[in-house]
Amino acid sequence: MLGLSSPLMPAKPALPDYSAGAGPVEHRFNPYSNNHGSVVAIGGSDYVVIASDTRLPSGYSIMSRTQSKLFPLGEGGRSVLGSSGCWADILTLTRLLETRAKMYWHEHAKPMSTGALAQMLATILYSKRFFPYYTHNILAGLDENGEGVVYSYDPVGCVEKFKFGAAGTACSLLQPMLDNQVGKMNLAHGNPEAQMDMEEALNLIHDLFVSATEREINTGDSIHFKIVTKNGIEERTIGLRKD
Amino acid sequence: MAFPMDPFSCPPLWTGGPDPSGYYSFPQIQSRNASNFKGVSAGLKPQAHSQYPITTGTSVFGVKYKDGVVMAADTLGSYGSLARFPDLRRIIRVNEHTVVACSGDYADFQFLQEIIQQKQIDEDINGGGVTMKPEALHCWLTRFLYNKRSKFDPLWTTVIVGGMQDDKPFLGYCNYIGVAFKDDLMATGIGMDVAVPIMREVLDKKGVNEFTLEEAKDLIRQCVRVCFLRDCRSSSRFNMAVVNKDGAVVEEPTVVDTNWDIAKTIKGYE
Amino acid sequence: MSILSYNGGAVIAMKGGNCLAVATDLRYGVELRTVTTDFPKMFEIHPHLWVGLPGLASDTQTVLEKIRFRVKMYELQENRPIQPETFAAMLSNMLYERRFGPFFIEPIVAGLNPHTQSIYLCSMDLIGNVTTPEDFVVGGTAEEQLLGMCETVWSPDMDPDQLFESVSQALVNAVDRDASAGWGAEITIIEPHQITTRRIKTRMD
Repeated sequence: MLGLSSPLMPAKPALPDYSAGAGPVEHRFNPYSNNHGSVVAIGGSDYVVIASDTRLPSGYSIMSRTQSKLFPLGEGGRSVLGSSGCWADILTLTRLLETRAKMYWHEHAKPMSTGALAQMLATILYSKRFFPYYTHNILAGLDENGEGVVYSYDPVGCVEKFKFGAAGTACSLLQPMLDNQVGKMNLAHGNPEAQMDMEEALNLIHDLFVSATEREINTGDSIHFKIVTKNGIEERTIGLRKD
Repeated sequence: MAFPMDPFSCPPLWTGGPDPSGYYSFPQIQSRNASNFKGVSAGLKPQAHSQYPITTGTSVFGVKYKDGVVMAADTLGSYGSLARFPDLRRIIRVNEHTVVACSGDYADFQFLQEIIQQKQIDEDINGGGVTMKPEALHCWLTRFLYNKRSKFDPLWTTVIVGGMQDDKPFLGYCNYIGVAFKDDLMATGIGMDVAVPIMREVLDKKGVNEFTLEEAKDLIRQCVRVCFLRDCRSSSRFNMAVVNKDGAVVEEPTVVDTNWDIAKTIKGYE
Repeated sequence: MSILSYNGGAVIAMKGGNCLAVATDLRYGVELRTVTTDFPKMFEIHPHLWVGLPGLASDTQTVLEKIRFRVKMYELQENRPIQPETFAAMLSNMLYERRFGPFFIEPIVAGLNPHTQSIYLCSMDLIGNVTTPEDFVVGGTAEEQLLGMCETVWSPDMDPDQLFESVSQALVNAVDRDASAGWGAEITIIEPHQITTRRIKTRMD
């Protein structure tokens, strides 16, 4: 010790270590926010309609009352993605999808088909399996025969093809009625194969959102529709209650 | 002992000096210090990224009017509950049609400001007449903040970008997670709860296209005023910024008009 | 998994014009394993007073027995049938007695006064907070699904047949989207002079 520390001359305290440790890194910040929202889609023989509410909440405040959650994908394509959950992830995911669809278009000189987009979305979601995009997705589009199809996803890319579907915060309120009215479940004389016509589908979606808005505080303000047919994509907006 | 051997308290500012986190209440420091990491020796403490804001600015406000946008932010930098810096400028002019305002951690904002201003300088030198428009800057900010949060090293800040995008007013919001939107009116922090309803009330009746500059300024002043009255982390001095086709101007700070006449009638505090 | 969704179940009561419907699913399970498919959670106190006790099955049975005891004591003392309002107040008080160690049930009460034809509906949380809506009340693990269905299906002044159809569709389609409820349903239509209970078949998966 060479007399560095003696009762008469105490050693100077060591300088505190300001350098960042080489040890483990503390990760405690929550990178997600839940911005809620609901999406419904119904496909018919020659159309598909997809609708979302336009409320963008954060906690108990409403950040925006006019934010649609529908994203048309692919140059000149006939597919629309509806997405709810962490809005930051939605923005990132849709931007990525738009870019990939555009690259496809430049490469192949044709828009990406709905089926190809559906598979690509599943792959992209699964590529983030261990740090997922916190998004609930519904992809609506027309298949190669011009028939409406709906693909429903979980946040990590589990996908199934349907004729109709609901996603988002109010999906548990919306889905049973869709099963009943579109899927003709539990109806004595219902034919599950029968296709719903477009006006009927639009009215049903409107009724469903009105009902969901009554009971689900994060859904409301207005409904944004995108109606996809072989002629293009038409938009409509209908008001909902704002409380 | 001056420095408790808690490996998660702030490093001392100077030997024998105070530990500021012991004096001022920071929003999230309780949960942080409550944690007790086992199996990590004091010598090998984990490296903590920025987990909470230090010097903070409170709400900022923005509203569109028929020819542009008006934004405002007060000038206070809070250090926990201490009103530490009374004259911070939280709105910066980027170029002749873009301003950026910020709430949250002021150091993170200065870091952002440095980058944004360097981008502007680069563009002035190499841009060939192309200028950074507000929508482009807003989009870049969403990516920048999102990428930082994805590295678990967020910039603890919420920004509002205002300006003129091809002769149309533009107003965009982005927070530290990367949640972003565009709207006719917006506020951050507590302003989202107390000022946005006031702005919506006015704009729902009038509409952006009927809304004049003076009306927009009055509305923003009203928002700053209610937030000064209700927000404990606010001050009465504020900057206002106006962007329209004539350019972007961040005005010198002004003071919220307050009325203390009634104070004289209160007895017992003379 | 919450204790309230340990056994699963769904109940609903809906108001019509001069009639009332109550309904329940029939599943009794332990988490995701179905044990019995003959376990109604809606009980007759009188022909015109019904109580639904969805939640933890052991508490369903315990609370039902406590209710029966208290109703009998009340009726011996008063020598008249208990009114729905009184019954709901009694049940609410009984639940609040256990404020810090509650019974894990979220009851609904439905009654029709055969003389005045007035209808009483209420639902409670597990510590006895009462709400009395004008249209319908729902409870159980399929609560959200039921709310979504009922908001769309309900209309004022339905006759008994319409009411039966509405309640059946609401319940059956709701429990089809809930893994913890379903496996048959029992629907009772209460009119001033007639009580009709029907069992309906549902998906058994």
